[in-house]
Amino acid sequence: MTAPTPSRTYDLSFARYVYDHIDGGQRLKLCMQCGACSGSCPIGTQMDHGPRKLFMMIRAGMKEAVLTSNTIWNCVSCYNCVVRCPRQVPITYILHDLSALAIEEGYAEAKKADNARFAKAFWWSATVFGRTDERLVTARYYFSSGLGEGIKKGMANQAIALAMVKTKRMHLGMPHKVKGVGELKAIVAKAAEIQARHGKEG
Amino acid sequence: MDKKTGAYLCQGCGLGDALDIAALEKVAKAEFKLPVIKTHACLCGDEGVALIKADLEAGAVTLPVIGACSPRVMTDRFQFPNAQVLRANLREQVIWSHPAGDEDTQMLAEDMLRMAFTQATKLNAPTPWKEGEFATTLLVVGGGYAGLTAANEAVKAGHDVLLVEKSAQLGGSARGWTKVVPSDPPYREPQDNPLPALVAKVEANKAIRVARNATVTKTAGMPGKFQIELSDGSTHLVGAIVLATGSRPYDATKLGHLGYGASPDVITNVELEIKLASGKVTTKNGQAPKTVAFIQCAGSRDPAHLPYCSSVCCSVSLKQAIQLAKADPQTMVYIVYEEMRTPGQAEEFYRAAQDAGVIFMKGKANKVANGAGLTVTVADELLGQEVPLGPLDLVVLATGMVPNSTDVDAPAQEYGAELLNPDINPYPAADESYKPAPIVPTGGPILNLQYRQGPHLPMLADGFADSHYICFPYETRRTGIYACGPVRRPMDMAETADDARGAVLKAIQVIANAAEGASVHPRVGDLSYPKIGLSACTKCRRCTVECPFGAIDETEQDYPVVNPTRCRRCGTCMGACPVRTIAFDNYSVDMLSSMVKAVNIPDEFDEKPRILVIACENDAYPALDMAGIARHQYSAFVRILPVRCLGSMNLLLINDALSGGYDGVVLMGCKPGDDYQCHFVKGSAMAKERLSKIAETLKSMQLEPERVTMVEASIADSARLPKVIDELVATFDTIGPNPFKGL
Amino acid sequence: MNPKPQSQTVLVVGGGIGGISAALEAAETGCEVVLIEKGPSLGGRVAALNRYFPKMCHPTCGLEINFQRIKRNPRLKVFTMSEVTAITGGPGNFKATIVTRPRYVKPNCTACGDCAKVATSEVADAFNYGLGTVKAAYLPHAMAFPMRYVLAPEVAGTPEGQSIKAACKVGAIDLDEQPTHFDLSVGAVIWATGWQPYPATNLTAYRYDALADVITNVEMERLAAHDGPTKGQILRRSDGTPAKKVALIQCAGSRDLNHLPYCSRICCLASMKHALYVREQHPDAQVDIYYIDIRAHDKLEAFYRKLKADGQVRWLKSKPARIEPGADGRPVVCGENTLTREVYAEPYDLVVLATGMQPSAKPPMETAMDDYGFVVGHEGGVIGAGVATGPLDVSMSVQSATAAALGAVQAVRR
Repeated sequence: MTAPTPSRTYDLSFARYVYDHIDGGQRLKLCMQCGACSGSCPIGTQMDHGPRKLFMMIRAGMKEAVLTSNTIWNCVSCYNCVVRCPRQVPITYILHDLSALAIEEGYAEAKKADNARFAKAFWWSATVFGRTDERLVTARYYFSSGLGEGIKKGMANQAIALAMVKTKRMHLGMPHKVKGVGELKAIVAKAAEIQARHGKEG
Repeated sequence: MDKKTGAYLCQGCGLGDALDIAALEKVAKAEFKLPVIKTHACLCGDEGVALIKADLEAGAVTLPVIGACSPRVMTDRFQFPNAQVLRANLREQVIWSHPAGDEDTQMLAEDMLRMAFTQATKLNAPTPWKEGEFATTLLVVGGGYAGLTAANEAVKAGHDVLLVEKSAQLGGSARGWTKVVPSDPPYREPQDNPLPALVAKVEANKAIRVARNATVTKTAGMPGKFQIELSDGSTHLVGAIVLATGSRPYDATKLGHLGYGASPDVITNVELEIKLASGKVTTKNGQAPKTVAFIQCAGSRDPAHLPYCSSVCCSVSLKQAIQLAKADPQTMVYIVYEEMRTPGQAEEFYRAAQDAGVIFMKGKANKVANGAGLTVTVADELLGQEVPLGPLDLVVLATGMVPNSTDVDAPAQEYGAELLNPDINPYPAADESYKPAPIVPTGGPILNLQYRQGPHLPMLADGFADSHYICFPYETRRTGIYACGPVRRPMDMAETADDARGAVLKAIQVIANAAEGASVHPRVGDLSYPKIGLSACTKCRRCTVECPFGAIDETEQDYPVVNPTRCRRCGTCMGACPVRTIAFDNYSVDMLSSMVKAVNIPDEFDEKPRILVIACENDAYPALDMAGIARHQYSAFVRILPVRCLGSMNLLLINDALSGGYDGVVLMGCKPGDDYQCHFVKGSAMAKERLSKIAETLKSMQLEPERVTMVEASIADSARLPKVIDELVATFDTIGPNPFKGL
Repeated sequence: MNPKPQSQTVLVVGGGIGGISAALEAAETGCEVVLIEKGPSLGGRVAALNRYFPKMCHPTCGLEINFQRIKRNPRLKVFTMSEVTAITGGPGNFKATIVTRPRYVKPNCTACGDCAKVATSEVADAFNYGLGTVKAAYLPHAMAFPMRYVLAPEVAGTPEGQSIKAACKVGAIDLDEQPTHFDLSVGAVIWATGWQPYPATNLTAYRYDALADVITNVEMERLAAHDGPTKGQILRRSDGTPAKKVALIQCAGSRDLNHLPYCSRICCLASMKHALYVREQHPDAQVDIYYIDIRAHDKLEAFYRKLKADGQVRWLKSKPARIEPGADGRPVVCGENTLTREVYAEPYDLVVLATGMQPSAKPPMETAMDDYGFVVGHEGGVIGAGVATGPLDVSMSVQSATAAALGAVQAVRR
C-alpha cells in the first residue's frame, strides 16, 4: 500500500498513513511544535525543515515536500531530540522510517546509488574494526565517487562533522576496534555462508 | 468605671540603655499625672505581663499604655481580657531608628509617650451595634452551576437558602450539555455533566426555597438584615447574598468577519453543544460533518470585542473536538488557535485531544468564506504561509463569555449608573494596538440595591464584579454580597464550584460577625462603627458619597444614616466630614488631632524642626518598623501618627499641625490608580484629592504649599522611606521654620 | 444522618498563603483552628516573592493584614517548626500527631537581636534560596511571624551556642531543646502544604549546576527583592555586574512528560513580572521570553498586553534545546525559533528558568490524589487547599483555601 497523496492542504490522509505505518507514528500526534528537536539537532542548520516543521508538514499533508526533504536523511541518530522531546516523540525512528518510505515511494531515486556506496563503506568498517567509525566511513564513502568529488563533499559537510564530534557522534584519531576482530571475521564469514545457502542477495 | 491610665515602660531590648527612662516617667507623672507608672526590665516576660495584669485585676489601672516595642509584635503577650491596651513604639521607631543616648532620640520617645497618653484620654471601649434580629438565611441569585453549588453547600453548613432563578428552569447555561471538561483525574475524558444531579439535589432539599421566573426587585438593609423583595411580590429577610448570575456567550452576530451568519454551518460553541445534546451533529445538508474547524478566541483577546481571555474556550473546544473525533474517527477536526491555554492539569486534556487525532494549527483565522464548502483562511505561523483550510463542512466559533453583571432584560437606570464604569483600566495606556473601549454593562440592576450610591454592584473592569485584591479575592465594595463564578471572572466549572464554596464561606462568615456587631475584612472583629452627630451635620453628603463600601445612606431629610454592618471601619467618612461630626468610639478626628497637638514643639531658635508623618497603619507603618529592624537611621525630627487608612485623614489634622508649629506634614499611603493597593479601595486616592484642596488654606495661613506633601509608600519600602524622610526634612529645612511656632 | 463530630477544631497543615487563608476564614467564621507550619515562620512561598502579578504589589502587604488578623483572633493557634506525621480517623473525628522540631529559642524571645550579634558562624539562608548566608542565630526575615529568632541546629551543641545563650538577656535560648510531639483531636483537616520548585538540576540540558548565570524564577524573586541578597539589584552571580540582557525560559520542566506533565499555570505571568523587574532597573535592558504558548488566562491577558507593548521585550515561540557556556563565559541559549525556522545561539547576561511547581508533601493518611501528587476531592478525608490541589496562582489559592474552609466548617458544624 502506498501513502495517499492529499489533494489539499491539511487533508489528513497522509498524516494518518504516517501515524499508522511509520515506526513511532502514533506518538507524532502529540507533537506540540515547541522546536526542542530542531534546536537540539547538531546539524539542524543543515536541514531544510528540521523535524519540528517536518511534522507540521505531515499534518498539512505536504507528502512530496516531506519525502523529498533532506531532513529525513540528515539525522545522525544522536538522540538528543528524543531525550529532550517533552512529548516523548521518537523523532529519530520516525525520520529513519520516513526515509525508508521515501525510497519505497521512489522519492529518493537520486539517493539510491549514493546509499549503495555508503552501505559498502559502512560494511567495510564493520567487518574490519567491528565498529562503525563515522569519520572513516564518511571519508571512504565521499571518495568512492572520485578524489575531487570527495574533497568537495568533505569541505561542504565540515560543519556537520564538527557538530557530530561535539555531540560525540564521531571521534577523531585512531579507529576503535572491538576485541577479537578475528572472531568477528569468522562470524561474518559464517553469516555470509548462511545467507548464500538461503539464496538471498547480499 | 472611671478610666485609669497606667504607664508601663520597658527597659529591655536596649531601651533602658538608649533612653533616659526616669525622664520618660516624669512625662507620665508631671505632665499627665498618671496614677500608675511602672518600669520593668522586660515587660513582655512573664513577670512584666503579670505586673500589668495585677494592676488591671486590682482596678488600679483600666487602660495600660505600654512604652516598649511596636504594636505589631507581642500582641498576644499584651492582650488582657476586657481591657484595651495602647502601645508606644519606643523600640522599632525610636531606639532602632535613631542613635542611643541622643537628645533628639529622647525627645522623640517622650513625644511618643505624650501621643499615647493623650490617645488614652480620648479612647473609649467600643459598644458593638447589635440592634434587632439578625437573619441567617442566604440569598443566592442565579440557578446555574455556581448558584446551585452555593445553595447546596450553604445548606450543608447549616444555613437555609433562598435561591432566585430568572428563568423557569434551574441548571443555567450548561444545563443541556452532554459532557463537560474533565476536572477529575486522569483528566483525559469528557466527563458527565454534574448539573442534572445537582438540580435534583437542590430541588429535593427542603432547606432551599427556590423561586423560579423571579428576579430581585429590591435589596435594602445590610449584612445580617437584608430585606429582599422579589418580582413575585414576596419579601424575605436574609443575612448575606451570593451573586451567581454566571455569564452569557458573546453576541456572535458581531463576528461577521469570522463568517457567522454567512452560512448555517458556521456556528458557535454553544450551538454545537445543542447539536451534541440532540445526539446527532449534522450540517445544513443533514449530513454528519466530515471536516470541522474550531476557531479559537472568536471575540476574545480582541480589543474590538472582548479584550480579556475567556479562559474556558480552549478546553471546551478540546472537549467538543474529542467528542466529534470519537463519534467518527474519520472526521477531520482542526483547532485554529493563537495560544493553547490549558493551564494546570488540563494540559493532559490537550494531549488527549491530540491523541484523538485533532489537528492544531497556530495562527489567526483571517477570513471565513462560504463557497463550495466553507474555507477558513489561516495565517499558519508554523508553516509560515497563508493556508486555505477547506472545504469544511462545519466551522465552530469558540465565542467567549460575557458576565451577567446586569439584567439585560431590565431597563437601565440613571441613578448610580457610574457604578458600572470600570473602576480601573488594566490595559496598557500607551499601546495604540491594544486599546479596548471601556466595557460598560448595559441593562438594569440585578439586586436593585437601595443604597445611596446606586443599585449596582460596582464593576472592577470589563464588566466583571471582581475584587482588585490578589490576596483577598472576595473583597469587593459591597459588604455581605459575594460574587462567584463567571460573573466575577472568566472561569471553568471546576473553578466555579470552588468559587461558589468560597463565596458561601464568606457569606456565612459575615452573618456570624454581623450578629456580634463585629467588622469583617480587613479589620476583622473591630466592634467600633461610625457615629454621626446629626446636630452638627450640614448634610454635605461627602460621607455618603465617599464611603468606599456604600455603607452610609441618606434619610428623607438628607441626613446621613450609617448601616453599621456594611461598614468596614476605615474611617473614610470621618476623614471626609468637614465639620468633624463623625467619630468611632475608639477613633476620631478629635483623638488624632489631640495626639498631633500633644507633641512638644521646640521654638525656632532650638533648630529642631518637627515633621508630622501621617502613616497608613497597614503599609507605611510596618515599613517604618522594618526600617527599624534593619537599623536604618532617619531624622528624629519626625513624629509618626498611624491611621487606619489615609482616607480617614481629615484636613483638620494638617491645619492643626501647621497652626501648632510643625514645619511640615507628610502623608504616607498606598499606591492609588489602576493598580491601587489601598485595602479600603480609595483611601489614598481620597487623601490625595483632599490634599489638592489644601493649597488654598495654606495660602490663607501665609504658608508655603511645599510644607504639606504626600509620599506613596509600600510595605517593602523599609530601605527607601528613611531616605525619603531625610530628604523631606532637608527640604523643610530650606523652607525655614514655621512662623506659627510658639504662637 | 452522620454522627455528631467528636471535635469542633479545624487543623490546617501548611502556613503559606493557602493555609493562612483557610485557617483565618475558618477561625473568623467561629471555628477553633490549629495552624501547623514546618518552617520557623508563616508566609510560605509568597513571603519570598518580591511582587505579585499583575498589580506588581508586594505580597508582604497582604501578609501584614493576615498576620494582624491572626494576632487579633484568639481562636487561631499557630505552631511553627512543626509537621503532621500521622492522621487517623475521618471527618468529625480525626486524630493527628504533630512533631515539633527544636527552634532552640523559646517564646519569650523579644527579637532584640543580641544573639545574632555574638553568633560567629554563618549558615545557608533558606529564605533566600541559599543565595546568601545568615548568622547561625537569625530572624527568618523582617516580616517574620512569629517575630522570633531561630538557632541553626549546627551550633546548638557548640561553644558558639553557649556564647549565644549567654548573650540573651531574657534567657530565651534553650540549647537542650528536643523534638516533641503531641496528639490533636480535630473535626476536619485542611491540607495546604503548597509547592516546591521543580529541581532545575534535573534539566540537564540547561546546565543550571554548571553555569552561575543560569538561575531559577524563585531565585529571581529574591534577587529583585529589596531585602534579598543583592538588595534588589538584579546582578549576575558570576561577576556581580547588572544583568541587562536577560532570557526567560518558560516550561522549564512543566508541560514535559520527562519532568512535570502538567502546566504550572503561573510561570508565564511570573516571567512577565520578571521582565518588568529587569526593564524597571535598566531602561536599555533587553528581555527575551522563550515560550511554547503564552498562558495569560482571564483578566491576566491585560498584563500580557502591557508587556507586549514594551518594544524591549521580545517573544520567541521556542522551547530552547540547551544552554551552553559561551566563549566569554556568558550562557548561550540554543534552539529553534519555530515561527522563523531560525536556529539560534544567543548569549545572555542572565538566563532565568521558569521552573514549575510540584506538590511538596503528601498527607500521612490515605487520600485521593492524582498521578502528579495533587490532592483531589475530599469525601471522607483531608480537604485539599491551594497548590496542594493543583498549580494555582495566589488569588486562586486563596479562593481554593476559602472553599476548603467551608468544607471544614461543614464537617465540624454537622
